[in-house]
Amino acid sequence: MIFDTIIIGGGISGLTSALILARHGRRVAVVEQAKEPAPLVRGFHREGIYFDSAFHYAGGFGEGEVLDLFCRYLGLNEKLTKVPLSDQSYDVFRDSETGREIAFRRGVAALRESFSKSFPEQAVGIAGYLSDLEHCCRTLPFLNLEASAVDWNIGAAMQGPSLAEVLAGRIGNPELRHLFSLHTLLHGVFPQEVSFAFHAGVAVPYYHSACRLAGGGRSLAAAFVGQLAVSGVQVFLGRGVKRLCFSSAGSLSGVELGDGETLACRECLVSIHPRRFLDLVPEGALRPAYRKRLMNLEETVSGYVLFLSGPRRPQLLAASNLYLGPFGSGTDGRLQSLERRPLFVSGAAPAPGSGTECGWTVICPADWGEMGIATERGRGGEEAYLAAKEAVVGRIVQRLKREAPEIVDGARVVAAATPLTLRDYCGGPRGGIYGVKHGIGQYNPQAATRIPGVYLCGQATAAPGLLGTMVSAFLACGQIFGHERLRGEVLAWR
Amino acid sequence: MTDQEIIELINSSLIEEFELEAERMTPDAHIYQDLGLDSLDIVDMVVVLENAFKFKIREGDGVRDIRTLGDIHRFVIEKKRALEGRTA
Repeated sequence: MIFDTIIIGGGISGLTSALILARHGRRVAVVEQAKEPAPLVRGFHREGIYFDSAFHYAGGFGEGEVLDLFCRYLGLNEKLTKVPLSDQSYDVFRDSETGREIAFRRGVAALRESFSKSFPEQAVGIAGYLSDLEHCCRTLPFLNLEASAVDWNIGAAMQGPSLAEVLAGRIGNPELRHLFSLHTLLHGVFPQEVSFAFHAGVAVPYYHSACRLAGGGRSLAAAFVGQLAVSGVQVFLGRGVKRLCFSSAGSLSGVELGDGETLACRECLVSIHPRRFLDLVPEGALRPAYRKRLMNLEETVSGYVLFLSGPRRPQLLAASNLYLGPFGSGTDGRLQSLERRPLFVSGAAPAPGSGTECGWTVICPADWGEMGIATERGRGGEEAYLAAKEAVVGRIVQRLKREAPEIVDGARVVAAATPLTLRDYCGGPRGGIYGVKHGIGQYNPQAATRIPGVYLCGQATAAPGLLGTMVSAFLACGQIFGHERLRGEVLAWR
Repeated sequence: MTDQEIIELINSSLIEEFELEAERMTPDAHIYQDLGLDSLDIVDMVVVLENAFKFKIREGDGVRDIRTLGDIHRFVIEKKRALEGRTA
């Protein structure tokens, strides 16, 4: 049995690629190290309560929007129940100091109108900024299915200007600049470091529509599993990949698994961390310059994640996410003290008909290594690590009690993750919450590699989030089938 | 740095990072036809030059017009002189 394509890594980008390839009649296999596919998004149960770990909400998921079309095309749509967040306030930003709230309303026009009411002296700047943002997003292939992916120049779009530069040129009010910067939490790169175009590509789909999934990330994983089964994709679980194999003539011949078994294939899609891709190929197959580039890719910020549950579901979180932070703090391209960082608070929607209680999640950005020696369990010891973790969790809970008492009253922390946890689960050596960052001055790998038949996908090549990782799969498969052909096929589902 | 020193650093960096043969590194060598690079290598070339000379190359600097090793030499020398002029 020779597979046409073997996909290494069964996360969202790998599974999306598998479904695209299978639709084209390919014999496809997915190899995933974890015991279940899509291990990161499927969340976990603790004390009978479901918690989402990686998926909280998605943008561009409204009827006929890009993520919706992807899901229709992939056959996932009937298996998913979208739960739109509030049109009036899908994201609520609350000032840590004054308690003042500003809501993001659905749709760019509504957002422009409501922000212009809150900041009347900035109305011209707001209109200009949002128009630039939307225009920029429209130029990105596979985010705007009308745009051709053929002539797109990735370098020009991603290397500048920065979000901070564009905001400084358009918006005079520092508080408003800060508000427009808070959605950088969706990609984990500071406004000074992220290109305006990349930020537009991530943020604008959320401005258009913001949805949760009933049952959270677990239902997303289940939808993929169901569709893989009917697509005839073979899935190898609990199996790591040791190396790619090549024939004596130098062409790709298969994949050797950790247990020694070899699967024969003609093509390979690598959806794991780009750094780990290097371990799979012989030294001479890639040039030193490319190896070094992949080795030196920087990661996004890391984070602390608190999982809470309580006797009642906070009303505010029913149809909104809450962002907490001092509006006036500004962002100077580094993390401030734990008390002044932005916090993201979100709760999963229960699975339909289950009535199961769901917990909610608090995410606080963090730097790798800021827990000091305790970051390395080996050196600091398990006790030092746990003490440092408890101290951090305590400080975040104190903040929540001050800034969002209606959410934390009566609630308790059921579990918590640190940068070390993120490193171990997500595979980024420095615990990057979104893995490899997309920052100005960094050149992320693209789908094509120098090895014929070997392609990369995953958030490092396109963007993070459900939409970003799916786009990465379309870009990788576009290398195989042609971008225009794939784009046309997805458009047919409109 | 003299022009000659710049050229030598470019050549030695490219030889190492792209595993090129030293005797092929003549100014009229075409980077695709003679040195065997392809469009995928251009980003890596940009990163190699940025690291060797500690400057940032931005889109619009003219990287896409580069065809020969001599073009690379001229590109870096001009870029370096422009930056020195700015700080002088």
